[in-house]
Amino acid sequence: MGDVIVVTSGKGGVGKTTTTANLGTGLAKQGYSVVLVDTDIGLRNLDVVMGLENRIVYDIVDVTNGHCRLKQALIKDKRFEKMYLLPAAQTKEKTAVTQEQMVELCRNLKNEFDYVIIDCPAGIEQGFKNAIIGAEKAIVVTTPEVAAVRDADRVIGLLEAQGIEQPQLVINRIRADMVKHGDMMDIDDIIDILAVDLLGVVPEDELIVISTNRGEPAVLDVQSKAGEAYRNISRRIAGEDVPIMPLEVNEGIMSRLKKLIGMR
Amino acid sequence: MKKNPDGVSSKLTSLMQLSPPDGLLPKDRPPEIYPQLYFDAAVPDEEEFVPEPPSLKTKENTPEQPGVEIPPSDNTLLIERTVRSGQSVNFPGHVVVMGDVNPGAEIVAGGHIMVFGSLRGVAHAGALGSKSARVAALCLNPTQLRIADHITRAPDGDEFKPHQPEIAKINDGSIVIEKYCPGWERGE
Repeated sequence: MGDVIVVTSGKGGVGKTTTTANLGTGLAKQGYSVVLVDTDIGLRNLDVVMGLENRIVYDIVDVTNGHCRLKQALIKDKRFEKMYLLPAAQTKEKTAVTQEQMVELCRNLKNEFDYVIIDCPAGIEQGFKNAIIGAEKAIVVTTPEVAAVRDADRVIGLLEAQGIEQPQLVINRIRADMVKHGDMMDIDDIIDILAVDLLGVVPEDELIVISTNRGEPAVLDVQSKAGEAYRNISRRIAGEDVPIMPLEVNEGIMSRLKKLIGMR
Repeated sequence: MKKNPDGVSSKLTSLMQLSPPDGLLPKDRPPEIYPQLYFDAAVPDEEEFVPEPPSLKTKENTPEQPGVEIPPSDNTLLIERTVRSGQSVNFPGHVVVMGDVNPGAEIVAGGHIMVFGSLRGVAHAGALGSKSARVAALCLNPTQLRIADHITRAPDGDEFKPHQPEIAKINDGSIVIEKYCPGWERGE
């Protein structure tokens, strides 16, 4: 029996899909069997981020409507034998799947895989309700912005109302230099407001843009700082005790020189 | 890139072959999508989706509007615009697009598909089972290409951009792509 984890945020563009792709890949790299479920019907992206877009024949709506078997719609990953993607439909609407169908789907997937990771659409409407209905655990992604934290707070309330206690928080796209200068919300400020467990902190990283465009999750890139953060988070999900990576200020050559000669 | 004996390049790798009972073929699709065309748009009431040429019908007004006629030739549909992500064209005859077909868009035709522009989305020609159906485009660069019960996709990795019109067809049981030459069918 596996875990069903929904990745959600309320606000759009904070990195739900990137987080789903990277955590799934990170868990698969550890040897677990993983299925990623894209529930963003009509605006699917997870397939593109995973680089599996051109393999899609059937999608989640075909499965729930009984047009194909579940196994037929699962797309095997290019890199990992035990990782699969269940893509969303692009030409249908959110209402094409009902909550009962999602519960049934999650139950079936849970029997086959160690981890079922659900990529939730932005917003708190039907698509969100469908995504969380079958989940037992939740990862809330936020960025250090007031608006994103506000939306995360709302979503945590909705998750608790749904019976998903103790959602875990991922703070994405944090910039150490801005935090240091007081221009960006601190990790502690965010935890203070949301009062949930911190699962990890992902630094802002240019390599994420490159890797998502190429369809290769950054978690596999040893150069990427964000990739390292995602590797740590996926190990934490698997139950390992990994300390939170300290924020590093990316110093310029001048400030490093100044420090060297004792001007600072 | 693989060349077969008669110089035909098959830049698409064969993904799988589905037998008809496994779906994909229209008889397994919900019956309501055939034989009418619709744009399955996210916001159907937006003005963009109101039919411009007389042959275009939206899903919503298909049954009621008696004024909208099937195109003159009875089995060819002309679309004079870009088919965008999330839009789906289903038509039992041939489909001609004067515009692009973007990634995430889908064209399913009973006959041939001709795109006077870039084909970047999914095209399914001969969807009713016709293996002689072909897909041609000025820039043939699809996410996935299907003819009858054959499915192919572009190989992973290398980005390939064709610089000439190309045509895809079934040759010896697999989909091949070659340069589009007018009159090739008559052996000229």
